[in-house]
Amino acid sequence: MKLTRRQLATVLAPAAAVAGAAAQSAPAVDDELRAARERVKTNGEALAGHALPMSVEPAFQFKA
Amino acid sequence: MPAAGNDIFFDTVTELNARLVKKEFSVEELARAFAERLEQLGPRYNALALSLKPQAVRQAHSVDKDLKNGRLRGPLQGVPYGVKDLLNYVGLPTTWGAKPYATQVFDSNATVIDKLHVVGAVIVGKLSMVELAGAGGYRSTAASLFGPGLNPWDRTRWSGGSSSGPAAAVAAGLVPFAIGSETNGSIVTPAAFCGVTALRPTYGLVSRHGAMALSWTLDKLGPFARSVEDCGLILHAIAGGDGNDPGSAGKSFYYTPQYARPLNQLRIGFTATDFAGLPAFAAAFDMVKSSGAQLVETALPSFPYGVVLAAILGAEQASVFEPLISSGQVDRLADPAQIAGLKASLEIPAIDYLKAMRIRRLLQSAIQLMWGDLDAVLAPARTGIAPKIDQPLSPTPGAPKSAPRTAAFPSFAELTPASNLAGLPALVLPCGFADNMPVAIQLVGPPWSENTLLAIGKDFQSRTDWHQRKPPTP
Repeated sequence: MKLTRRQLATVLAPAAAVAGAAAQSAPAVDDELRAARERVKTNGEALAGHALPMSVEPAFQFKA
Repeated sequence: MPAAGNDIFFDTVTELNARLVKKEFSVEELARAFAERLEQLGPRYNALALSLKPQAVRQAHSVDKDLKNGRLRGPLQGVPYGVKDLLNYVGLPTTWGAKPYATQVFDSNATVIDKLHVVGAVIVGKLSMVELAGAGGYRSTAASLFGPGLNPWDRTRWSGGSSSGPAAAVAAGLVPFAIGSETNGSIVTPAAFCGVTALRPTYGLVSRHGAMALSWTLDKLGPFARSVEDCGLILHAIAGGDGNDPGSAGKSFYYTPQYARPLNQLRIGFTATDFAGLPAFAAAFDMVKSSGAQLVETALPSFPYGVVLAAILGAEQASVFEPLISSGQVDRLADPAQIAGLKASLEIPAIDYLKAMRIRRLLQSAIQLMWGDLDAVLAPARTGIAPKIDQPLSPTPGAPKSAPRTAAFPSFAELTPASNLAGLPALVLPCGFADNMPVAIQLVGPPWSENTLLAIGKDFQSRTDWHQRKPPTP
């Protein structure tokens, strides 16, 4: 089957758009993950800065 | 026009039950009317997850027989309701609002559904929710298998999360009441945004057996309804010990506001900063004050609530959803922020979780001391109105943040994480409008103080009609 240049362009344009979008979204996903990991790290540092006496046990078997 | 008439859709539970007992219409007619309205209008708000009309009609037929034979089962008998789609319903999909679980089916009902069945309430549908109740932290209103929850007061605005469907369905008169869940704000926020009354019970009072877990030490189930009275009656039916829920406190709840202490003997904490914003909040404050209760300016004990909650919720959700994350199925979720948040939560060190649980012990004790002087605290449920659906939401719920504590009585901005960490009950009361959107106050009390909160709320609603306002006709 022969395709004209115009037909070829029509077929390839959506694919190119999808590939472009994927290329754009990959760094966005990486950025989200980097930011989420940074939040975990920052949160850990904030917790580490909170001094506790040894006698304070975790709230396991938590009851209100 | 439904056989039961168009005037039923905003009736309270007690009003509907009284009309059933008087035989104004049958349970079957009522169930059909609500199920059809939910099917017809639910999609307008992205509130419907699954219609249970055939099941509702069958159950309603059986309840009609009970009523005919004089087998009375209390005020919820014959009253239709819906549940957030994180509660198991035998043999039909329970999606948790998320694509990876779209075809998931369980072989038994959640305990709350069985309890409501026993008292004759008729389930007519499952209601939409934010995917996985927000696990990982969502930043888009579209973070749901059902699309963004649309607010019945303005469909360009969000209905709130994660119990989006229950709040919108009650506000729009699609069900008389609904059951939702809260881990950190998921009952309080949508109730405030949609202008409905709601109750978050004390941790352990309502069984979570058959409900999706997000955080074992934070999850609670509770009602959305038309009034404080309805919330009390529903809690009466769904509370109680359950050996199938390791977090169950083994306690029952009897709705007896008539035996609560007189309001003029109660002391309610607040901070003036919280009521200096919208005029509706100032008016609500004056209304509570005029009940005779003593309002006392106070401060929450100083703790890094947001940081502690983020570590506990993050570590527990990582364990709950570890198979989803490790299998890569997590990438099928709708919100990239949630995907990233869940992946990152696998990396929370055990030492951080333990540290957070140790600080939780201290903050729980400090808040317990606060109740020595107070019976409840009063604050806006949300300081603003529902955001537009195309607006990105504020950063990850529970993310590290601290309210400025320079004033003597700083804002209760961290009341939501604080009260959830301490397992405290909260009652949400619609209190007016801002920019034509509903706003609400919340009352938070000590563990097991539901009857006190309900008594204060009942008095408030006896002198206001915000809870009776209806959104524009769809």
